[in-house]
Amino acid sequence: MGNMIKTIDVTDSLTNLKDACDLESGRISGKIFYDQAIYEQELEKVFARCWLFVAHESQIPKTGDYITTTMGEDEVIVIRQKSGGIKVFLNACPHRGNKICFSESGSARGFICNYHGWSFNVEGNLVGQHESGVYEDSNFDKSKWGLKEVANVDSWKGLVFATFDPESPSLQEYLGPMTWYLDALFDNQEGGTEFVGGCIRSTYECNWKIAAENFVGDILHAGWTHDSAARAMLGGSVAKVSDFEESYSVNWNGHGYEFALDTVGNVAVLGESALNRYIHTIKPSVAERLGDFRSNMIGSVSSCTIFPNFSFLPGQNTVRIWQPRGPNKMELFTWVVVNKSAPQEVKEKWRKGAMMTFSPTGVFEMDDGENWEYCTKTAKGRVTAQQDLFVGLGMDTLLTDTPLPANVYEGQLNEANSRAFYQYWYDMLNAKSWNEVPNRNVGKAEAE
Amino acid sequence: MTALYDEQRPVSVEQHYRISHFLNYEYRLLDDERFDDWLALMHDEIHYWMPGIENRRRENLLEHGFYATDHMAFFDDSLRDLGRRVARFKQPSAWAENPATRNVHQLSNVEVYYGENDGEYVVHSTFQSVRSRGLDEEYVIYGRRQDLIVQDGESFKIKKRLILIPNATLTCKNINTFL
Repeated sequence: MGNMIKTIDVTDSLTNLKDACDLESGRISGKIFYDQAIYEQELEKVFARCWLFVAHESQIPKTGDYITTTMGEDEVIVIRQKSGGIKVFLNACPHRGNKICFSESGSARGFICNYHGWSFNVEGNLVGQHESGVYEDSNFDKSKWGLKEVANVDSWKGLVFATFDPESPSLQEYLGPMTWYLDALFDNQEGGTEFVGGCIRSTYECNWKIAAENFVGDILHAGWTHDSAARAMLGGSVAKVSDFEESYSVNWNGHGYEFALDTVGNVAVLGESALNRYIHTIKPSVAERLGDFRSNMIGSVSSCTIFPNFSFLPGQNTVRIWQPRGPNKMELFTWVVVNKSAPQEVKEKWRKGAMMTFSPTGVFEMDDGENWEYCTKTAKGRVTAQQDLFVGLGMDTLLTDTPLPANVYEGQLNEANSRAFYQYWYDMLNAKSWNEVPNRNVGKAEAE
Repeated sequence: MTALYDEQRPVSVEQHYRISHFLNYEYRLLDDERFDDWLALMHDEIHYWMPGIENRRRENLLEHGFYATDHMAFFDDSLRDLGRRVARFKQPSAWAENPATRNVHQLSNVEVYYGENDGEYVVHSTFQSVRSRGLDEEYVIYGRRQDLIVQDGESFKIKKRLILIPNATLTCKNINTFL
């Protein structure tokens, strides 16, 4: 298997990480958002090992359809195969390492490197070179010099994930019972979902974890941070989350989903009555498909991050990857997801609604960006970077007697998911192999 | 948009001056945060569109090359949408606007042509938007614009605006202004 990727040797863990991250006492420090050595460890121990979101199936429907993205800072090509499967290659020529695909998406019969004309087919095999005779004279074995393929690719309900690490658990095991919750957005109608065309990319001077954590379990900020946007879109403040009778924070392996059961709270901030109507129209069929409980989640006040950097907001239907670009920089890739079966005008309202609220021009996101950047930038100060930061809300809220899968905590105004996110991150940084990652899951691995 | 209008008919120097002046005035309103006055320059049927730019190979171009009508956008706004954006700027709880963002909008390379209908003008231009926040943040956005301007009494209104930046990745975190 000359074309399989060569995994990296994992370097020793940092010895002083405990000082910066102590979740049992609900404490982290800004150092984890600014430290170059910690960032280097993340690229190796998180991004080179975990399952990372790379594409939605709908972006590459036909053979040769591809998109380019990054896994951590590694550039990859995600391409549909004749077999119907998907392969993910390093976007680097095995000759001198030059980037071979410069376009963000398209359809190709293969890729030819601009440097020495090495040519690869859709399967990633090297099929030719400029001046191919000289290679033959050197007994060159073409079969060994194809594009390097990642260790594993798998998908869940249209979401395609890849991992560089052949030792990583299966995607199913990695996601665990979180898939039960993912279905509330990604499988609530026959035919599943698709991405709207295009991708909006923007650049933040912030650490990727701040943003990932914001979606993993921080609805607390919404009522305050987003007051201005809510007043602009709705003419009033956002729903008071503490008024919800029932809400949860659930997590597993560092992934987290916080949600209320109000069905339509996230959708409502788009200010498009047609979307509220759509949600109410499909709700009975969602209840038939997924049960009453999850039919209340389809557009409710909620957010989710799949560890490490894949996040979405049900209802607003914005989907993103927080791409790491250094300890204090990230690129944000933003898409919009819609049900395939939704009427065209509904899809169109979501395309615009997500843009209007949660995108670089979105009235909600304006106020997030400032917060995330300055949570990062203050940690530039060596003294500030080591101050304790509080992540202690909801310490004793674990529900032990619940039919819900995963680790379930009462209430969404709760930092349980944030702690679980940082804990898993800390565990990954301390583990030289997957066997060393402690299993901290205490809830049900499957839905009853 | 380009194909829709006859670009062979540039307006008179005097009319060119009036329209350039109008567009410079529009930009000054933004720099002065006079958002309601700015909004009043928009036609009821305004389509204010800044599509996302996609980095694609020449053989895989979209409907309009680097962008498409039904793909993701930065702005794809009606008057109601623009009004909502303005409404946010004006909230005392727009935390990220206090201290204010300081703006300089600059317009150049202005070409003005007669449009299809009487009183309509097609304007091509380039712009720079410089924003500074806090002590040291600076963001510059460069781009090209195509406007459809209509005569409105002694003044004008903006009926269509197409904003194209060269960047497939926005080099900053947001666009908390109009372009």
